[in-house]
Amino acid sequence: MLEQYLKTNLAWWDEAVGVHQGTDLYDVDGFRRGADSLTAIERDELSPLVAEGTTLLHLQCHVGLDTLSWARRGATVTGVDFSGKAVEAARRLADEVGLSERAHFVQSNVYDLPGVLDQQFDIVFSSWGVLIWLDDLKRWADVVAGFVRPGGVFYLAEFHPVVFLLDDEEHAGELRLTYPYFQGREPLRFDEPGSYADPQAAMQASVTYEWQHGFGEIITPLLQRGLRLDHLHEFPSTRGLTQPFLETSADGWQRVKGGRTDIPLSFSLKMTKEAP
Amino acid sequence: MSDERPAPARGAGEASGAGAGPAGGGSPIPDEIRRANVAHWDEWTRIHETSAFYDVEGFKAGATSLWPLELEELGPHVGEGTTLLHLQCHFGLDTLSWARRGAAVTGVDLSDEAIGLARRLADEVGLSGRATFIASDVYEVDAHLDDQRFDVVFVSWGAIEWIPDLGRWAAIIAKFLRPGGIFYMAEIHPVAYALDETEDHNVRLAFRYLPAPDEPDRSDYDGSYADRAAHVENRVCYGWAHGMGEILTALAGAGLRLEYLHEFPFCVAPFFDWMEADEQRWHWLPDGHGGRRADLPFSYSVMARTPAVEAGHA
Repeated sequence: MLEQYLKTNLAWWDEAVGVHQGTDLYDVDGFRRGADSLTAIERDELSPLVAEGTTLLHLQCHVGLDTLSWARRGATVTGVDFSGKAVEAARRLADEVGLSERAHFVQSNVYDLPGVLDQQFDIVFSSWGVLIWLDDLKRWADVVAGFVRPGGVFYLAEFHPVVFLLDDEEHAGELRLTYPYFQGREPLRFDEPGSYADPQAAMQASVTYEWQHGFGEIITPLLQRGLRLDHLHEFPSTRGLTQPFLETSADGWQRVKGGRTDIPLSFSLKMTKEAP
Repeated sequence: MSDERPAPARGAGEASGAGAGPAGGGSPIPDEIRRANVAHWDEWTRIHETSAFYDVEGFKAGATSLWPLELEELGPHVGEGTTLLHLQCHFGLDTLSWARRGAAVTGVDLSDEAIGLARRLADEVGLSGRATFIASDVYEVDAHLDDQRFDVVFVSWGAIEWIPDLGRWAAIIAKFLRPGGIFYMAEIHPVAYALDETEDHNVRLAFRYLPAPDEPDRSDYDGSYADRAAHVENRVCYGWAHGMGEILTALAGAGLRLEYLHEFPFCVAPFFDWMEADEQRWHWLPDGHGGRRADLPFSYSVMARTPAVEAGHA
């Protein structure tokens, strides 16, 4: 079954690559002109660690905008995505903006990466909507911990687990908790038109399989593989989601309707690999 | 996207390690709030002493008051002679349950009534030789403990909602642990604190999740979690919300190495009257079809250690 879930998700993502090129959320043209695709969260928290020659591995990099934004800051970057179409788009973009010397893109499932790549990095980076595509965070943590050099950093900026608990249909207005925090190995099946980046887009693929993960499930396997917690920050704002209980503020961040700032919508996690 | 980073939700004292030391002045709990909470807990102590929830008679007869969770997770680390500091110990049942397993225990609580009862119970069950109880604000425990260092610092069930500043709290924990010592906490989940019930016995996010150190949450209701029908005179009390990020980052910021965060779909007391107890006294949300909902977090446990060699002494 797992193979079928991943195959279905891959079909969705292969098709999403073409759709996302023209979206406001990804703003690929803006990026070509020099705009940064990173949000202020990862920019403020991780930039101080990125300098000329910093080696950075970006897991689940999609079309490589964030990967290349780090390369523009001097990093030597490796982006990994399971979609061949995404990796092709990332390579074309790297060429176009003159970063192909310091940007390398690899097509691989996260879990299979140790068989493809033999190197450790100063920074392993991942962000915004990556964990829901992973069924097994212990295997993921094996990969993450394996690719961080001793003394190096793992950094993740993500949607908060609480966002994905909230009803997005008839009970959305009361913030009812409809979806599981503890899910287990059986994914949620969604069948929706369009993409989060363009809900109106005509797509052949509409079905996805997604896995919910709580903080204990995310953090504990990393701790057990030699990564030390530096911080877990929670934010009352997010980006790029389509849930009906969200609205976009004047500053560009999405928040819960009604001006509520007490509900967590995103988080950032920074961990350092213990030196031997 | 905006160039402005949204403010992360931070508790007081988290922003930097500096200034968050345990010696950083008096308690951050405002006097008026402390007075209200002490009066509240003094009265709750008298109610709890005879409640079925705390089952003091059972404890006197030899039963442990500890829940299966902390017994399983911390129990293997507590033996004859283990020194254990229990912060926010209420009237000491859990503290004394660890003493019965051989630990030399120190319990700290804000309420004089609670500490008085804890001392009487220690005498009654013959544990006063290995149990010390201190009436103190957790932020001022320094004044009572001198240079003692403990093998274990223990916190459990509905404790940190009564304190505003987790940065200073974590610094106190780190200070009183020996190198290589263990911090263990079993607590109510931040998501659970944010829930309210719907008419059809579901749950919704109604209350604050993210911390607001300057906005204590004021409560004013009769009864107690341990005895819903009890009549309480000193009803007004104040607490503070704490997010999981604030909690874990405070511990990490104090130099503790986190070992695990475990989360569970059940809790020690019913958040809602319609939650159902199992044979171990854990309370669960019913699923409406005769079963239990195991999909939402109601409690968690954390274990962390201080580095084996103190920084600067290597």
